[in-house]
Parts: sequence; structure tokens; C-alpha cells
Amino acid sequence: MGTDAYADAAGLVARSAAAYVSSVPTDPADDGFFGPASVTWRLGGDLSSIVAGLRALLVQALHPLAMAGVDQHSDWRRDPVGRLAATSSYLATVSYGDRAAAEHAAARVRRIHSRVHGTDPVTGRPYAASDPALLLWVHATLVDSTVVACELFGTPVAPADGDRYVAEMTVAAELVGIPAALVPSDLAGLRRYLSSVLPGLRCTPAAADAAAFLLDPPGLDPDIAEIWGDIRDGAVAAMPEWALQMYGFGAPGALTPARRAEIRQALGVLDVVFLGEPGVLEARQRIALRMRAAQHA
Amino acid sequence: MRKTLAAAAAGAALAAAGLVVARRRLGRLRLRRGLAALQLAARGGARYTRSAPRLFASAGDSRQQLRNDLALETAEDVASTLGAMKGVLMKIGQMASYVDDGLSPAARRALSRLQDSVPPMSAGLAAGVVESELGLPPERAFARWDGEPIAAASIGQVHRAITHDGRAVAVKVQYPGIAETMAADLDNVSLLRRLLRVTAPSQDVDALITELRDRVLEELDYRQEAANQRLLAAYYDGHPTIHIPRIIDGLSTRRVVTSELSDGARFAELAGWPQEERDLAAETIYRFVFRSLYEAHAFNGDPHPGNYLFHGGGRVTFLDFGLVKHFTLAELQPLMQMARSLCVDNQPQAFRRAMEDAGFLVPHAPLSTEMIVDHLGVFYATIRKPGRLTITPDYASAVVRRFFDLRSPVAGYVSIPRSYVILQRINLGLFALLGELSATADWRAIAEEIWPFVQAPPSTPMGEAETAWRARRLTAARD
Repeated sequence: MGTDAYADAAGLVARSAAAYVSSVPTDPADDGFFGPASVTWRLGGDLSSIVAGLRALLVQALHPLAMAGVDQHSDWRRDPVGRLAATSSYLATVSYGDRAAAEHAAARVRRIHSRVHGTDPVTGRPYAASDPALLLWVHATLVDSTVVACELFGTPVAPADGDRYVAEMTVAAELVGIPAALVPSDLAGLRRYLSSVLPGLRCTPAAADAAAFLLDPPGLDPDIAEIWGDIRDGAVAAMPEWALQMYGFGAPGALTPARRAEIRQALGVLDVVFLGEPGVLEARQRIALRMRAAQHA
Repeated sequence: MRKTLAAAAAGAALAAAGLVVARRRLGRLRLRRGLAALQLAARGGARYTRSAPRLFASAGDSRQQLRNDLALETAEDVASTLGAMKGVLMKIGQMASYVDDGLSPAARRALSRLQDSVPPMSAGLAAGVVESELGLPPERAFARWDGEPIAAASIGQVHRAITHDGRAVAVKVQYPGIAETMAADLDNVSLLRRLLRVTAPSQDVDALITELRDRVLEELDYRQEAANQRLLAAYYDGHPTIHIPRIIDGLSTRRVVTSELSDGARFAELAGWPQEERDLAAETIYRFVFRSLYEAHAFNGDPHPGNYLFHGGGRVTFLDFGLVKHFTLAELQPLMQMARSLCVDNQPQAFRRAMEDAGFLVPHAPLSTEMIVDHLGVFYATIRKPGRLTITPDYASAVVRRFFDLRSPVAGYVSIPRSYVILQRINLGLFALLGELSATADWRAIAEEIWPFVQAPPSTPMGEAETAWRARRLTAARD
């Protein structure tokens, strides 16, 4: 059970949307580190993205040192929505921004990370946010979650595309300061890496708090409160069994085709709510036009 | 979403020229939480804006600026654009577009953006649908085929073509795979219920969902639309001002419907025509709505301004029959009884009894008959007294406000039996349309011509021409 209080989730959709819109450039100097023909762009626009993000956060929180760094240094409890929006903004800038924008955003994140260090109260071990081992954990769980969520609720990823995506994302890892040599370059390598970290994971009180917030955000906008249960079920269904055990969640029932369809439908409704935010449609069209041009080139 | 339903698929409804409907236990709506962005929260009448119901926002025409640069190229593109409930939400949005003053701004924005987010099919994708439906690629199924769509349509788009026997036609082509997807999405009653949460008893919500499902499923099968259009085209054959394009039978299937191509001025252009032209067009639309209802026992539930072409002299072409509801005579009787007792016989007690008998009004409600007439009379305001009368945007707006007025003590005792739900479009759509034209006529006199229980002689030149047409029909039927 969690210990400390956190603020509510009001404005989640509006602020995430604004962060996304401002990160998709209108007049980029170049195609950035991935480009419109990349698998990264394709998966980034998938309906399942929200499940991927939720799953990634839930799994990431199980690393005691990564969680301690977030809990002791970020203002997530005071402004959880702002924290999530900042992360969305960073990810969208790295994916869709030009190289200068991505490098600028990454430099800022590295600067912030350089000031984040301390001691995890649960394990008593010291941590530093710029530690490549911690950064790699965060990176790998996000990449893994994106593929898993697509498989379950979005457009399935062909194995070759999965490998390509993992390899493409190496540059994102480098941007936050992970030496390329440490970064898995295909799906098999990614999964081997994740298993290797497993023994050090556990559900600390801070992780339980973070999970409680993510699974049942208090004060959620009424628009999405109605469907959050389905979104949450999607994220839980996508989680690895060991993660569910650490959190003490019972094994979720089998994901029947009918339940999968229902979760997809809820994701579709959420997508429409998101689409209603100013600038979202235009930002998506900017991306779609560039992808279209690349595909026809 | 609540209000979408309230306003669109079901919920409440009163119809002019005979029928008054309202909602059940509306008061409780205000207390319930729903999807704020998509909800059609039933708010107090006073909070409804004073402007007339807006006709154009989120209607299909905005997609006319067809984003060919983003055209859908594969069935997967279609699925990611309209699958996962989005097509169903778009349909609900279209149905609600008549009354978007009643939608929360967030809901209006989300639904209209959703509509804007749907690009047309690429020429290749559309050709593939035609080939799988007609058995031949469009270049061979038709003598000439224009691969560039001319308009967006309900979950499809319209192409021009020329048939092998030389007729210019409009071919409506449905997005591939979308009917199956939307049918499956409509099966998620639990999600729809959460989205729609309209009225208190769950049974009522389910009835609304059933009505929504039925209408949308019907619309997904273009053969229904072809049948409706065939019926009305036959009925109005030779009519002096009402024109309905003929269906080309051999080129119409479940996913493709081919009809004669019509050309004319759009509704937005009509607004710039002289008032007498606008009055004539309005008279034709009015006659069409009530003749179809009382004589063909059919009601086109889609009085969207994009569904008319205007040719001058009151001549109007009617398009799009995807949302037609057929009535039995028994279903129409109560409506006629209500109009007759209130407007013709001036018998408020009989009016009240007729409403109770038909299920619109709870029997023995602790209300004076005067209050009931006072509350519901606004829906009959154009036909209670003879004489020329202008339907203004303010009137259209007042009708919508009264429709959603939950504060009146009467509101708690009225409800709409399901089979009449669609007729609310008369109040929420037809009056908005006529109000937009500031149309003037002696509506009561026209109604008397059409009411089967009056059958008055013609009251206008158009009425004269209609009488001649009816005589010709009868002669033809005898021969």
C-alpha cells in the first residue's frame, strides 16, 4: 500500500494533447533521428499507445532505484498530470522533432538527470539518474511495452519490424546518455536484458503509490473516467506476469477476443476525446502527410 | 454523449403537425455524470443558447474539402480511421448535428473533428469496392467513371459516372470493411450505455441503444436506402416540385448504390436567393415531409441541409434516404388524433387523452390540461391558427429549448414511445432548416391540404399543381 498522497489527474487529456501538439513540428529542418519511413513513427501513432505508456510506467516503477529517483526528485505527487505531459512531450519531440529539437530536449533531460541522485530508502542503495543502467531500464521497458501493446490492442508488429524498431530506438537511448554498446539491438536481446534485471525488481511503497495513481487516477476528467476501467484492464492484461505478482494483482482473466475488442473500442473513444483537443488533428495530419510522402517516394 | 442521444438518436421528441413527445424523468439527468466531452448533458432549457440550432457544424459537407492527399489506401487505413468505435461515434455525431446547440462545446468539437479526420478513399480503394460489389472494375461496369469523388457520404463517398446506356449517375461507394466493424462495435452495449446514459431506468437506455443500432445497421446496408428511395421516387413520380433521383437497379448492391445524377444549388446558395424563392423551397420541403409521413407512411430522418438541391421555382431534389423510418397506419393515428383535437377541434381535453392513449403522457398526471397545452403548444405553433406566419430562427430555437426544458413541471410526465423517436427531427431539424430560410407561408392551410382528416382544397399555386398531380396519379392507378 502506498504511503503519501498525490494530487489528482484533472486536465490529463488537455495537457497531454497540448504537449503532443507543440512537439510535432510544423516546419522541421530535417526528418529527425527516425524519419517518416521508420517503424518508430508507425508504432507511435498506434491506437494502443496509451496502453503502452501505462504499461511502461507500471513496469518501470518496479525498479527500486529508478522509482526512488522519481519519487524523491520529481514533483509527480504534486503535479502528476504535468509530469506525464512532460514525458509525452519529450517522447514526441525525440520521435517527430528535427535533430536540433530532439538534441535540445535530450540535453535538457540529461541536465536534469545530472542533479538527481540520492539513496533509495528501501534498499539503502545509492542511485544517480544519469546512471546508464537505470536509463537503460527505462528505455527497454518503453520499447518492450510499445511492441507488446501493439500486438495486443493495435496493429500487430511483424517480427522483422519489431527488430527494426528496437534497433531504431538505440538512438533515443544514446540521446539520454546510454552508450550504444549497452543497448539491445533486437527483440531477443531486449527480452534477454529484461530477464537479467528481474532479480533486482520489487514493489516499493513508492511504486505502489505510483501504480495506484496510474490505475485509478483520482479526479480524472469525467470524459475519460467512464472508460478508464477498460484502459486500465488493457494495461494490466499487457503486463508481464512477474510484474503482476510483484504488485500483488491477481492474475487477470484470459484476454478473450471479445474483451480485447471492448478494450480497443474504449481506446477508440479515448482517441476521439483526444482528437477533440485543439491542434491534435492537424498535428496528426502533419505526421501522416510526411509518412505518406515517404511511402510514395 | 448523453445529449447526443437525448437530441439525436432518441430521448425526447415532439413532432409538429400532430405529435408531441418528450422525455421521461429528465430531471434526473442533471445529476448524473457522463462523458463530459461527448455528453449531450441534458441541461436546463434556460441554459440553451438563444441562437437558432446550427445546421452546418459537423455535418458531412465539411469533408467536401476532401483531403485527397491523405486518402485511405487500404482496408487497414479504413479500420484505423473508423474502427474501434469511431465510426459509431461519427454516426451519432451526424445524427446530433441538427441540435449541436444542445451539445457541450467539447462534445461538438470532438465529434466534428472526428468527422474532419476521415479522408476519402483513394481511387484504387474505391474501385476495389465497386469491383467486389458489381463484379467488374468501375471502368467496365460504367461507360465512364470519375475516380475523383465529388462528395463525402455517410461512411462512403460519391463518384460520378455514366452508364452504358448513357445516363449520368451518382455512385455512392461504402468504405470497405466498415459495415462489419461498426456492427461489431454496436454490439458493445455496455460501452454504449456508458456513453449514452440518457435516462434513469436502464431499460430506457437499452431501448435507445436498440433504436440507434437499428438505424445505423440499416444505414450500413445500402439496399435499404435503395428500397426507400425507390418507394419515394415512385410515389412522387411526376410531382410538380418534388424530385427524387431514380435508383439504377442493376448497379446497386449492399455497398454500392447508383442513382440518377442531379445538379442544383446547395442550401448555402439558396440563402442568397430572393425571399420568395426561399419561401417556395420551404413550402416544397414542408409538403414533402408531411405528404411522405401521412401518405407514404415514411419519414426521412435526415433533413440535413446537404441533402437538398434547389432548382428555382420551388423545385427541390431530395437526396440520401439512408435513414427512413416506415410507419403503420396504426402508429400514425394517434399523431393525427393529437393534431386534430388541438388544432382543428380545439379540444384540449381530447388532446390530452390522445397523448395519454399514445403513451406520450403519463395518465392522470397531476397537471392541469391548460399547463399541458401551454407547455406542448409551442410545437404546434405554426399550425394552430390559419394565416401566414414566418418561421424564424428564434422560433426554431424556442422549439429546441422547450424540447430540452427539464424545469417545467410537465417535463416529468412526458416520454416518447420508441417508434416516434425519429420524428423529433421535425422539431429539431425541419424547423431549424425553415428557420434558417426565415420561410413564410400559411402552414396551417398547407397542413389542412395534407391532413387525411381534413383534405382541404389547395391553398397555394403549388397546392393547385399538387392537386393536378394527385389526380393524374389516381387516373394512372385506375388505368
